[in-house]
Amino acid sequence: MTQRLKEVDVVVIGVGMVGSIVAKELAAAGYKVVGLERGQARFTVPEFQSPAIHDELRFDIRKALMQDNTREPVTFRNHGSETALPVRRWESFLPGTGLGGSMVHWNGQTYRFQANDFQLATRTRERYGRNFLDPDLTIQDWGVTYQELEPYYDRFEYLLGTSGKAGNIKGKIHPGGDPHESPRSREYPTPPMKEHFQGAMFRKAATNLGYHPFPQPSSNLSQPYTNPEGIKLNTCVFCGFCERYACEHFAKAVPQTIILPVLLANPNFELRTGCQVQRINLDSAKKQATGVTYIDAAGREFEQPASLVITSSFAINNVRMLLLSGIGKPYDPASGKGVVGRNYAYQTMSTVASFFDEDVIINPFMASGASGTLINDFAGDNFDHSGLGFIGGAFIGAVNTNGRPIQYHPVPPGTPAWGKGWKQAVVKHYNHTVMFSLHGSSVSQRQNYLDLDPTYRDAWGQPLLRMTFDFPQNDLKMAEYVTSKGVEIGKATGAKQVAGSPRRAPYTVTQYQTTHNTGGTVMGSDPSTSVVNRYLQSWDVPNVFVIGASAYPQNASWNPTGTLGALTYWTIDALKNKYLKNPSALVSA
Amino acid sequence: MSTDVDHCAVHTASLLLLIVSLQVIAANCSVAAEAGTRAANTALCESCHGANGEGDPEAGVPVLAGQSADYLEKQLRDYENGTRDNPIMRNFAKGLSDSERAQLSRYYASLPAPGPHAVQVAAVDQRQWARGQQLAHQGAEAERVQGCNNCHGPDGSGLPHSAPYLAGQSAKYLANALKSWQQGTRKNDSGQLMVSVAKQLSADDIAAVSDYFSSLKVAKN
Repeated sequence: MTQRLKEVDVVVIGVGMVGSIVAKELAAAGYKVVGLERGQARFTVPEFQSPAIHDELRFDIRKALMQDNTREPVTFRNHGSETALPVRRWESFLPGTGLGGSMVHWNGQTYRFQANDFQLATRTRERYGRNFLDPDLTIQDWGVTYQELEPYYDRFEYLLGTSGKAGNIKGKIHPGGDPHESPRSREYPTPPMKEHFQGAMFRKAATNLGYHPFPQPSSNLSQPYTNPEGIKLNTCVFCGFCERYACEHFAKAVPQTIILPVLLANPNFELRTGCQVQRINLDSAKKQATGVTYIDAAGREFEQPASLVITSSFAINNVRMLLLSGIGKPYDPASGKGVVGRNYAYQTMSTVASFFDEDVIINPFMASGASGTLINDFAGDNFDHSGLGFIGGAFIGAVNTNGRPIQYHPVPPGTPAWGKGWKQAVVKHYNHTVMFSLHGSSVSQRQNYLDLDPTYRDAWGQPLLRMTFDFPQNDLKMAEYVTSKGVEIGKATGAKQVAGSPRRAPYTVTQYQTTHNTGGTVMGSDPSTSVVNRYLQSWDVPNVFVIGASAYPQNASWNPTGTLGALTYWTIDALKNKYLKNPSALVSA
Repeated sequence: MSTDVDHCAVHTASLLLLIVSLQVIAANCSVAAEAGTRAANTALCESCHGANGEGDPEAGVPVLAGQSADYLEKQLRDYENGTRDNPIMRNFAKGLSDSERAQLSRYYASLPAPGPHAVQVAAVDQRQWARGQQLAHQGAEAERVQGCNNCHGPDGSGLPHSAPYLAGQSAKYLANALKSWQQGTRKNDSGQLMVSVAKQLSADDIAAVSDYFSSLKVAKN
C-alpha cells in the first residue's frame, strides 16, 4: 500500500552535484525541499578515509562506489538490429550512487566548453558550408550561448575553488593559459597545480612544435580555499587516488566539501537516503506533475506530492526517469520522430604511449586527478577542418592521473597479453612510459539513442534503460587525425618508441573510456528536437526540470562537469527569478 | 633545553648563553664522517637531542633517531631560511653546509627509533586517548580535518620522504609543533596542508592527538 506524504514545494531526484546545489539554493530561498537519494549518506569522515579508501581491488575493480548493477543495470547493444543484454559489470562508464553522486569519484577536471560548441550546427554550416556534415548527424545548437553561461561558469568554478591559469580574461590573452578558451571574466580562484614530470615533458615537446600547452584546470586544489558558501577545502597531496575513489583530504571539490554542510544545516531541506524513485506522477491530462512515487530501503512505497519536481540524477538515469514517467515523446530512430532518448552521445577517447629507456624515471604515481598539461590546438573547432571530412577534435595532454598497481601497466604493442612476457614488459615499462590522453568530442547521430528495454527489468520490476550506440564515422576519422598529431608530440619528447591508439569501432562496454554519457533529454529551442527548453524545463510538463549532461545535444572535446555546473546555476536563476514567481512554461512552444 | 620555539623550558638568559657556546663548538667542528656513521658535528645535536637521537620528551625536544632523512634535511634548510622559525635551531642550521646537512640527516635516519615514551596508555585519560586515536585514524567531520595517518602512515609510522613519523615522538614536541603551525611560526609545508589542519584543532584536540601518538611505538619498516 502506498503511503501518501505531506506535500512539499520541491522534490529533487538524486542528491549529487546538481541535486545538492539546486536544493541548497531553493531551500535558502525559503522553499520546502525534499532530496531523494537512492544510495547511502556518506562523508569525508569517516567513509572516505584511508587506508580503506585506497583499496584498488574494492573501488577500481569491484566498483564499490558505483550504481548497483545487480539491481539496476543498463542493457547495451551496438546497433538496432541486435538484442541488448544487461551490463553486469561496469567498465566503459561508471555511474555513481550515494550522497554526492558520481562527483564523489570524479577526477576534478573542470573545463568550460567554447562559444562555438553551443552553436555547433550554425557555426559549422557558416564555416564549412551546408553540405559538410554527414546527413545522419543530428547535431544542433543548445539554445543557450557561452556569453549567457559565462557568469554561471564563473560561479561554479568559485564554488569548487578550481586551480588553473586563465588564458583569456575579457578578450585579453594571458601567457601560460589556454589561448583558445572563450573569454572568462576573471582568473581561476586558485593557482594551477604543480606540474608533474610527464606534464613537463609534454610542455617542452608541444612548445617546440608551436602548440600552446597549459595546466589542466583542477578541482583537487593547489592550496587551501574557502568557497563563497563559507566552506573550507584543503590542499591536494597528489596521492593518485581520485577517479573511482573519494578524497580523504577535503581537497577534492565534491558535494561533501563544497555545499552539503550548508544544505544539511537548513531546516527547509530534508534528505532521505535509500529511496528509489519509481516515477514522476502526472495529473490526468499529463500536463502537470503531482509529485513522485518512491520505494524506501525497507521496501515501503511512498507518494511524495510536490509542486515542482527536479530530476538531477546521472545523465542516463534522467532519461530513464522521463521514459518511466511518460514525460515527452520517446525517440524512434526509424522515423527520426520523438525526443526522449534522442541524441545520446559519449566521448571519443584515444591514447598515445611514449616508451623511454630505463634511465628516464617517470614516477607515474606522483599525480592527481587533474594535474596534467595539455593543448587545445586540436580541440573543438580550433583548427581548420576543410577537407578533413569530420567536425570536432580532442584535447591532447599528459594528463595521466595515477600509477596504481592493478590497473596501470603500459606495455608496447606486440607484448603478450599475459604470462611471463607480459610481466617482464610491465616491470620494464611501468616507470618509463609517458601516457597522453586524447579526449575527443562526440557527435550525435540518428542511430545512437536510449530507450526502455523490452525484456529486462530492475529489482523493483521497472524496465531497464537500453543503450544503442556505436562510434559515428565522423568521430573515428577525428580520432585518427588527432592521434597522428599526438604521436608527433610523443616523438618530440625524445621517446624511444611511440604508440598511438586511435579509438576504433565497435564501441565496447567492457573497456573503460569515460563516464561522460550525454544527451537523451537534450535542450534546445524547438520542441520537435529537444526535451527541455533553454532553462532545462520540460516542454510537456512545465513543473518538471531535468538537469544533467543529458541536456547536451552532443558532446564537446572536454570533460562535461564544468558545463553542467554552469547549466545548474543558469537553471537555478531561471527557477528563482522567473518560474517560482509565476509557475508556467518559461518558453512558449 | 627545549628546542621548539614557543614553549621553552629554559630561561631566555641561559638559552642565549647556550647558543653562544654551541656556536663556538660549531665553528670548531669539521665534518669528516661518512653517512651512516657518527658525524663529528653530532656533538652539537647531542647536547639537546641526546647521544642516540632519543630527544628529551619532557622538555619537548624531538626524537631524531630513525626519522626520514629527507624530512630532517628539509627541516634544517627551513630553519635557516626561516619558514620554520625557531631561534635556537636557526643558529645551528646557519652554520651547516649542504653536505653537512645531508650527512647529519642520514646519520640520524640510520639510528634505531626508540620505543614508547614516558606517557603510557594507562597514564592518560582514556576519553582523551580515544579522541586522539579518532583524530589519528579517521579525523573529524565537524572540524573538517582528515585523519593524520592518511599522510603520516599507519599508526603514525611515517611516510618518507616528506611525512615524518609521529609514533613515539615527544608529546610536548608534537603539541608545540601543532601550535607553531597554528600561529604561523612554522609554514614550511608545500600547499599549507598542516597549516589548515592545525588551525582546525582546539587546544584539547592538540593535547589528545599529541599524547596519543606519543604513546605509540614506532612501527619497524
